[in-house]
Amino acid sequence: MKRRDFVKQTAKIATAGLVLPYLLPSGRLFARTNEPKAEHVVYVLFGGGLRQQDSILQRYLSDSQGYNVEGNIMYNMLEGAAPSTKIAYGTTPSGQPNGSQPIPKILSQSIQKQGTLFAEMRAISGGHYGGLNSLVTGSGVQGQGLKVRPVNPTIFEYARKFGGFKATDVWFIGNTISNSTPLLNSSRHPDFGLQYGANFFAPGITFGGDGRATLSNAKIYHPQEELEPMYKMKNFLDNSFNIRQGDIPGIKNTDEEKTRIKTFIEETFNRQSAGLLPMPPVSGGDGSTIGYAAEVLRVFKPKLLVVNMSNIDGCHSNFTGYLQAMHKADHALGFLWNYIQTQIPEMSGKTIMTFVPECGRNLNHNPILDENDWYGYDHGDANSLRVFGGMVGKNVPSNLMIGSENNPIGKVTDFTLTIADILGFKDQVKSAGIIDPDARSLFDRI
Amino acid sequence: MNMHSFKLIFILFGLLSFIACQKKTEYQVVNTDSYGDNLNKNKAKSNIEYHSILTTNLFQKPSSVNELSRTDRVIQSCGDKSLINEVIISNYMNSSQVKLPTRKFMVDSTERFIEETYVRFFIRRPTEAERTWFRNYINANKSNPNFSPELVYTAFAASDEYFFY
Repeated sequence: MKRRDFVKQTAKIATAGLVLPYLLPSGRLFARTNEPKAEHVVYVLFGGGLRQQDSILQRYLSDSQGYNVEGNIMYNMLEGAAPSTKIAYGTTPSGQPNGSQPIPKILSQSIQKQGTLFAEMRAISGGHYGGLNSLVTGSGVQGQGLKVRPVNPTIFEYARKFGGFKATDVWFIGNTISNSTPLLNSSRHPDFGLQYGANFFAPGITFGGDGRATLSNAKIYHPQEELEPMYKMKNFLDNSFNIRQGDIPGIKNTDEEKTRIKTFIEETFNRQSAGLLPMPPVSGGDGSTIGYAAEVLRVFKPKLLVVNMSNIDGCHSNFTGYLQAMHKADHALGFLWNYIQTQIPEMSGKTIMTFVPECGRNLNHNPILDENDWYGYDHGDANSLRVFGGMVGKNVPSNLMIGSENNPIGKVTDFTLTIADILGFKDQVKSAGIIDPDARSLFDRI
Repeated sequence: MNMHSFKLIFILFGLLSFIACQKKTEYQVVNTDSYGDNLNKNKAKSNIEYHSILTTNLFQKPSSVNELSRTDRVIQSCGDKSLINEVIISNYMNSSQVKLPTRKFMVDSTERFIEETYVRFFIRRPTEAERTWFRNYINANKSNPNFSPELVYTAFAASDEYFFY
């Protein structure tokens, strides 16, 4: 080989060696800025407004209803003895008093023992949609309007743009289609938007009575003989009708991903009929949403799944129901973590689960009494900005509690940056400059 | 060059310029921009409008308000609207009430099938390029027994253009 050829070839190889690692893995365009801490993240929006005094501070009825009864009703998540009297937080066996049967603990070791808790954090908003926006965007913007997509990019968009993940790698499982919940899977930010949005299901609708009547009789077409020609014709028609990006109000999966999701829908109806869906032992409401989230995890093994719960918001008018919903939400969280560790080998030991409510609840009660003559609590005052959160799983320090009632550490906007940190694109999210400037990865707060 | 020759050339140039100027001919034809009808479609149908039109199209009778509201809720419950509409369309296609042209009609009267399908779904005639592409595609798939008017109708019903009016 001539010297000139040798130099040329060496230069080509060196250039390829520098460029290709940024293009090849999963088609990602951006280099990872930090070493990933885990391969998967499950983010539970422990939603609906969870009052500090009744949850992590374990004061049960003592700091809300004037009864001197304390105790822990979230024993999958927290360490602490359950209340010994006035038990109304459980299920209701036939002929027994309302809520008198506590649900057995699922986890042999609490999340608190297994992971890290931030005992006293600060929320951005005392309202639901503003609060949920801050959880999924990491932004401190408080003027977010209802019925519009988030102003700033969501963690789904960061994950897809900076992480190079495809649509079926990123999921949002919502508990409802009301309260603008379906709009949280993508922002309307011009640099991000629907092209980077997450797949979304509200399982209560998609796989409930409405979905069964509308979707369950779908034909399953042959992928090569039928679907391929159909998509070829559709793609031809779409190319003849060029629309602007964002004109079709939904995210886009590839044809291959669409076929996978269609099969998932069909199989979910079949498994539902056969009673094979992975549901928490005590299901319904939030528990059911968590069950469908577990099914999505089982089938797709996504890089990021966010699931929303909200039953505890019944506290506005029914404090007893709020205690029961909190107890069930803890049960569902324990079930989900246990299911990931024991039933999904591809995710077991490779996943971090994070959890936080979007807001707390008021310090003082409202005038509404429930069947036990217990007062309801709304949200919106300074006390409703007090929340706790945490994380558990790979690379998360165990048995660690950060902060306390008199020493708040962390904000709810930290979670977006924490997920970016876990999946390896923290610096890019920070450099984008759109998140709360005070936000930090929870790993950096330890 | 003397002065006489210069004057002669100057006069000749002026004469030629005068003769070369010609009055523009007006044919009294109205100028029209050239574009396809689909470019005028810029308003997205709502979920209810889309399915009301589609079910009327496929079943030759409108759906009830309850059915349309239910369908709207299901669409809202899924992030990929295009995907969920395809699933709903395939549910419609699985109904015994759906009214579709026969495969024989598609194969034997391909030109008419293409024309009618465009008019039925897009309320416009196909362009020559579209007509040619579909003619070639249908002819190329004649030997595929699974290639049916149902697939063509599904592609049209799920296409971006059908979401707009």
